[in-house]
Amino acid sequence: MGKVWRSLRPSVICLAAGLVAGWSGCVGAIGDKPPDPTITDPNATPETAPVETHMVRLTAPQVRNTYRALFGEPLVMPDLPQDDQLYGFTSLSAATKTIAPVEAERYEDATYAVLDQVWNDTTRRDALVGCPPSDLNARCVRDFVEDFTTRAWRRPATAAEIDALMDLANRIGASLTEPDQGLRFALAAVLQSPHFLFRVATGEPDADSGWLRFDSWEMAARLSYLITDGPPDAELREIAAADELLDPEEVRAQAQRLVDTPEARAALVRFFRDFMNIGRLDQLDKDLDLFPMVSETLGVSMRREIERLFENVVFEKEGDFRQLFTTRETYVNGDLAPIYGIEGIEGPDFVPVTLPDDGKRGGLLTTPGFLALNAHKTESSPTHRGRFVRISLLCQDVPPPPPGVDTTLPEPSGEPQTLRQRLAAHAEDAACAPCHKQMDPIGFGFENYDAVGAWRDTEHDLPIDAVSDLDGADFEGGVELGELVAELPRVGDCIARRFYQHATTHLDGLSERAYVDDLVERFVQSDFDFKALVVEMVVNGGFRYAVPAEEGS
Amino acid sequence: MKRWHPPRIARRISSRALPSRRMFLRGLAAGGAITVGLPLFEMLLNENGDAWADGEELPTRFGLWFFGNGVRLNSWLPSTQGADWQLPNDGELAPLLPLKDYVSVCSGLDVKTPRHPHHSGMSAVCSGGPHLKVDDVRDTIVSTMKYPSVDQVAADYFFDQHPTPYRSLEAAVTRFRGTDEGTTFQYLSHNGSLGGETNVNPSEESPQRFFDRLFGNETADPLIKQARASVLDAVGDQIVDLQPRLGARDRQRLEQHLDSIADLERRLGAPSPSCSRPDDPGTFPDASGDEQMAEKNAAMSDLMALALACDLTRSFSLMFSTCGSGAVMWPAGATNGQHYMNHTEPSPWTKQHESVKFTMGQLAYFLDRLKQTAEGASNLLEQCSILVCTEHTEGWNHAQDDMPILVCGKGGGRLRGNLHQRDDGGNVSKALLTALRGAGLPLTEFGHEQGAVSASMTELEV
Repeated sequence: MGKVWRSLRPSVICLAAGLVAGWSGCVGAIGDKPPDPTITDPNATPETAPVETHMVRLTAPQVRNTYRALFGEPLVMPDLPQDDQLYGFTSLSAATKTIAPVEAERYEDATYAVLDQVWNDTTRRDALVGCPPSDLNARCVRDFVEDFTTRAWRRPATAAEIDALMDLANRIGASLTEPDQGLRFALAAVLQSPHFLFRVATGEPDADSGWLRFDSWEMAARLSYLITDGPPDAELREIAAADELLDPEEVRAQAQRLVDTPEARAALVRFFRDFMNIGRLDQLDKDLDLFPMVSETLGVSMRREIERLFENVVFEKEGDFRQLFTTRETYVNGDLAPIYGIEGIEGPDFVPVTLPDDGKRGGLLTTPGFLALNAHKTESSPTHRGRFVRISLLCQDVPPPPPGVDTTLPEPSGEPQTLRQRLAAHAEDAACAPCHKQMDPIGFGFENYDAVGAWRDTEHDLPIDAVSDLDGADFEGGVELGELVAELPRVGDCIARRFYQHATTHLDGLSERAYVDDLVERFVQSDFDFKALVVEMVVNGGFRYAVPAEEGS
Repeated sequence: MKRWHPPRIARRISSRALPSRRMFLRGLAAGGAITVGLPLFEMLLNENGDAWADGEELPTRFGLWFFGNGVRLNSWLPSTQGADWQLPNDGELAPLLPLKDYVSVCSGLDVKTPRHPHHSGMSAVCSGGPHLKVDDVRDTIVSTMKYPSVDQVAADYFFDQHPTPYRSLEAAVTRFRGTDEGTTFQYLSHNGSLGGETNVNPSEESPQRFFDRLFGNETADPLIKQARASVLDAVGDQIVDLQPRLGARDRQRLEQHLDSIADLERRLGAPSPSCSRPDDPGTFPDASGDEQMAEKNAAMSDLMALALACDLTRSFSLMFSTCGSGAVMWPAGATNGQHYMNHTEPSPWTKQHESVKFTMGQLAYFLDRLKQTAEGASNLLEQCSILVCTEHTEGWNHAQDDMPILVCGKGGGRLRGNLHQRDDGGNVSKALLTALRGAGLPLTEFGHEQGAVSASMTELEV
């Protein structure tokens, strides 16, 4: 499989260069950088090197899972600062964010809200500590603080750090004349710490590679937050304490264990949610007069259908990831049934459905969620749908219109026109054509689906024309486009590359090409098994090594 | 590693500083438990109500009020220049007529920083500097603001002069946020970015949560407050210990964390704010699929006006809609997101025109609320200087010449109001400088890189 695929695969560099030359710099691979004038040979590949070390802030689900791991259930989860997306990913945003005053305030509130739930129940509190914390100098209390801090900070706390926390506990305990309150406030200092709220990993010198390698504790945290969105469990901590995670085979074994946990399913679904940008479906905004079938819960149901498809292919079938683009098996509930035109399915629960082989539906690109998300409130958007395929599935780049360009479409002539006919102006205008040609034709293939993703044969009583081409390959309609996309080598490259970016929490640079190519090749060799991609990612050099961060002045 | 600051602005007071002695004495003079129902100031003014009891002048406040996607310039601009501006036919500023004495118009000003649709205009009108592309990737534009937005410049100044419980407050009305353009399309208030980190002050989007934050029940037990402060002190020590092990960008990120911790700690040491607790504003679910913009705007405006009256902060930002907003302006007859509508609506662009009028109506509600809030013998709007701006002249062609800008309020007598000054080809930073000077900041120059200016819109100032 891998060999056949290799021979078909055009060079990434040549493809990008050809596109740049042919289409006025309109499309290239994301991550390609502008030519550096100091490099005399532009085709020279820079020496392979991993990313600089950097802190990553915990995302809201990661904070919640860490609270849960530290305190157990039941735990009412407090409000937390909101996650943002950068290049589509909350993980990338978390790698650049600071903590603003309003966020520090919210973390403080959350810390006490969680601690109070445990402290207000003395039985629960004593079980957590291991003894009634009436004497802060008791061995049991110090041991607990050490163990708790090690779990919360995902590394052994130093004696000096424990001394400082015990000193804080004693001072506050004395001030309030309640030792157990002193302990509660000391734990608050653990949970508001930069060591808790950020994942700090600075690496250690590695003579073999000449780079920094992440030490066993750092690898344990990297593995566990990537695969489960939570802190290392007892087994990982034990292996980290024995310093066994420098061995890639041990890392692989742990990843294989973790990827089969329920937490991994939730965490990897979150990756896919960002990859598809379908978190936005929760605020679906469609015109209720035009689309009376839109219910309050439709957007969430659309998102869940896509996530269920992903779970089914990756975790239940453990099959070729590209089936997502072609499968006629999906999940439908009462919200989605009217859009699919299926009768007899009601209520919020999803029912597995095999869609008819009538050329109207099949795969991710014909799901109502994909189609509705990349559309407007009242009408479809070939541009947005095409842009998504180009940028998110093919990892190509389309710039926005240059400043000063008249972006309005010509006024309707009075004669009814389809949206495709109106958008023809994009292809005729020299300023618009180079970029819109990369998006609109792909999107024309989806014109049989309206703004909520329901099938239509006509628009304004005019027949829909869904015949188009993707970079010279002809197709008609969303189903054929899905089959075409599934066979494009670039699509496999792209999902692997996106996962690399997500896992290393930055956009890969040219010096990481060898790492990304290696990951892609292993993904292909696994017959596009997404779980294998996850495991191959954590043993990839780009994940295990780093270079020192820039010192600055 | 010192935190970077714009030139000529005093540095933030050091992390561990206590509340100022002056503020403490004022709290004491008021007798600790202040009568509920009155803004703090009422208790502390001289007999005329035009100054503090000790003769010092009443405080000014600074505000940044932003709306996305530009205007229709022909109907936005007043038909006359100079004092007592007049509306053109069906002018977009019509909702502001009742407040005209407090509204001045700047026109003719251009964005001088390197241009990019939305991104450059947003950073220019909010920070006086260029936008910063996050990571060096070809064409996909993801940006943040390279320099602090003006509300933070003012917050630095005020907080140094007179610490308030909050350095600044941030709120937003419509809910649309960008997901793949960077913080420029998500937030208004920025702290600047030295090394490509994203450093924003997220705006509160829910009136109910804003209410809880400002007027929720805080513990009054001084020993508990002291314990919380000790915890924050310990966290500050952890940050300072960690910083030297990190690279430049991460040190900068932790510097902000340290500042944020210091803000929290300072609040614990300040006298408890005392003012009337408003009613819980409740929630604002969509009605028949339509976002309840006007209702949410009224709730946020009420809360912000009260927060200013109670001196919870002296610098604020209100984001009605984001840069490049996709909010559906249905009250103006729109059926699709504003950004898309702008790029597709044919002449005579009625919906965009009505959207801008509707938006100015929302601004008018807020300004009127400030005007109706008495402060001493005067009103709160008299004491404010508010910069009103948008990232484009007109959204459909992404133009950034002749930017639509208003300066509202009287800045405690520093701003004339009811004036239209045109400065053809002037740098847009001049309006920012005017608004900051209007709030009492002793600046003679402002802006960064191509946005630097050393002259303001002088006719607007007294």
